[in-house]
Amino acid sequence: MTRIDFVAVAVDSLRTNRLRSLLTMLGVVIGVAAVILLVALGQGTKNYVEEQFAGLGSNILIVTPGKVETKGGPPIIGSVRHKLTLADSRILEKKGYLFAGVAPVVFGTAEVRYRNRSRNVSVLGVTPAFPDVRNLHVEIGAFFAEADVDARRRVCVLGRTVKRELFGNANALGQTVKVAGTLFRVIGIMERKGISLGIDIDDLVFLPVRTAQELFDLDSLFEILISVRNHNDIESGKEMAAALLRKAHNRHEDFTITNQAAILSSLFTILDTLTYVLGGIAAISLLVGGIGIMNIMLVTVKERTNEIGIRKAVGARNRDILLQFLLESTALSAFGGVAGILAGMAGARALGWIVPKMPVSVPAWSIVLSFSFSVLTGVFFGVYPAKKAASLNPIEALRYE
Amino acid sequence: MLQSDPAGEPLLRLRGVTKVYEGGAGRVTGLQDVDLEIRSGEFVAVMGPSGSGKSTLMNILGCLDVPTSGVYEIKGAPVAGLSSDELSALRNREIGFVFQVFHLLPRYTALRNVELPLVYAGVPREERGRRALDALREVGLEDRKDHLTNELSGGQKQRVAIARALVNRPSLLLADEPTGNLDTKSGAELMELLAGLNASGATIVLVTHDPAVARCAGRTVYIVDGRIVSAERFREVRG
Repeated sequence: MTRIDFVAVAVDSLRTNRLRSLLTMLGVVIGVAAVILLVALGQGTKNYVEEQFAGLGSNILIVTPGKVETKGGPPIIGSVRHKLTLADSRILEKKGYLFAGVAPVVFGTAEVRYRNRSRNVSVLGVTPAFPDVRNLHVEIGAFFAEADVDARRRVCVLGRTVKRELFGNANALGQTVKVAGTLFRVIGIMERKGISLGIDIDDLVFLPVRTAQELFDLDSLFEILISVRNHNDIESGKEMAAALLRKAHNRHEDFTITNQAAILSSLFTILDTLTYVLGGIAAISLLVGGIGIMNIMLVTVKERTNEIGIRKAVGARNRDILLQFLLESTALSAFGGVAGILAGMAGARALGWIVPKMPVSVPAWSIVLSFSFSVLTGVFFGVYPAKKAASLNPIEALRYE
Repeated sequence: MLQSDPAGEPLLRLRGVTKVYEGGAGRVTGLQDVDLEIRSGEFVAVMGPSGSGKSTLMNILGCLDVPTSGVYEIKGAPVAGLSSDELSALRNREIGFVFQVFHLLPRYTALRNVELPLVYAGVPREERGRRALDALREVGLEDRKDHLTNELSGGQKQRVAIARALVNRPSLLLADEPTGNLDTKSGAELMELLAGLNASGATIVLVTHDPAVARCAGRTVYIVDGRIVSAERFREVRG
């Protein structure tokens, strides 16, 4: 018996009992569709969260001054509480060979005025390293250079919203604005970025860090952002930064280094687990579908006992009969699997269409996995009925009516 | 189909064949010490009342079953000890079956039914169709090749069954009450067909309880209570 013969016999048999085949398939269809849909929901949620945090970058360390301590006891006399300074930033930059960029940040709020228009905005005093570290880009003009920082030049880069509010459609480049009463020349406009971690990047004004310190009368920093060269080095990078700062601060650990990526990754682990659990629950319905296949195959074998007898009488070997029925159950589950994948994808699309905020995404692995699983279900639950068919005694099978 | 036997070797030989069934009702003897030889080209009728063991004999001759003891040889080769798959291959190659209840696949056309033994013989598709059509032509049903078997009359069904039995050129045609489900006219036509096939060389063993059918055969073997008996003894038993 050739492969084509086996397939032809299986398809014939499924076509003969069309309604029954369809109903049996339905179990697998629902199971596979459920797997696809639930995994799509889980994956979509993960993508959504990932998108929200995308601006941050997964390789960022944030150094903030002060240490939240739960230790008791009076403060030791003579211990000096250090602030974070530009000197700290320079040390990290020079000695932290694991770091791609070190960006000191001064934070303040100020009124920005252009002619008769004004707006209260957040002002960030930064260095040229900042856009690289935060993955931001200048759209028009340029970001300020190291020389601007060192010379404390009065130049600024505007966020998109600030530019629109103050200038409308007019050209802002080269114009002079007043930030907290001081004149600044606009040298660049940032690309639209949106809200990241609750901060509207587009509603910021960037100044050279030293200029900002002067403006706000500060000698310290709000925070230092560090981007680690290699994502895998995030933990050793954290230790490196801590060691360098401890040394600079007379062995006092008066700073905190947080790694948002670590928090993110544990969140992703939870979301992944959720996806697997949902997929697993859906897979149980696939299992039920498999039992349906086994049930109907047992009925089929019983019904076709006479046929099995005839086939054996004219020379079918046990293996021929086994394969014939195994292929039939596998065809049932495979067709069901394909239909289930289509139904699941359609369902995911419909869900995304009806509830636009619902993030859905069908990952390729869920298609491959659920299809393989459905085929395996057909094989697994088909073996017993097929073996039963193959082991029938031809004389008794021929006598069966 | 014509089997030459230069050494005078019979096509089939049974020596002391006994078949015992172990069932819930204890041991039942189906055949008892049967000796039988059938030569190539013979047309043999096996007659016996129901329960006499003629079905058991059929099953053993057809390699659907194996004897409990004794020797059964086809072309000098013993059948004992063959696996069920080897028996399948042997049936496929050497034996064509015709049953009282036709045993055709109802969802298949006449042609596909006839093709069935060739499918399991591993004959390629095109050749299968050609040979099946030849076999249908032989039984005069070429024009019915695309009919589903349940669209055919009883006589036509039995002729499709004969075409299926012949298609792989077996050594032996085994017919079990082939006219049992046919009307008189179809039955007579069928016997004519079998006689014609025998005349052109086919070896036929036919099981029947109808003396009129048995008369078409060249030789009749009588079986009573699992034993082969003489014609006189058979008539005595039947009263």
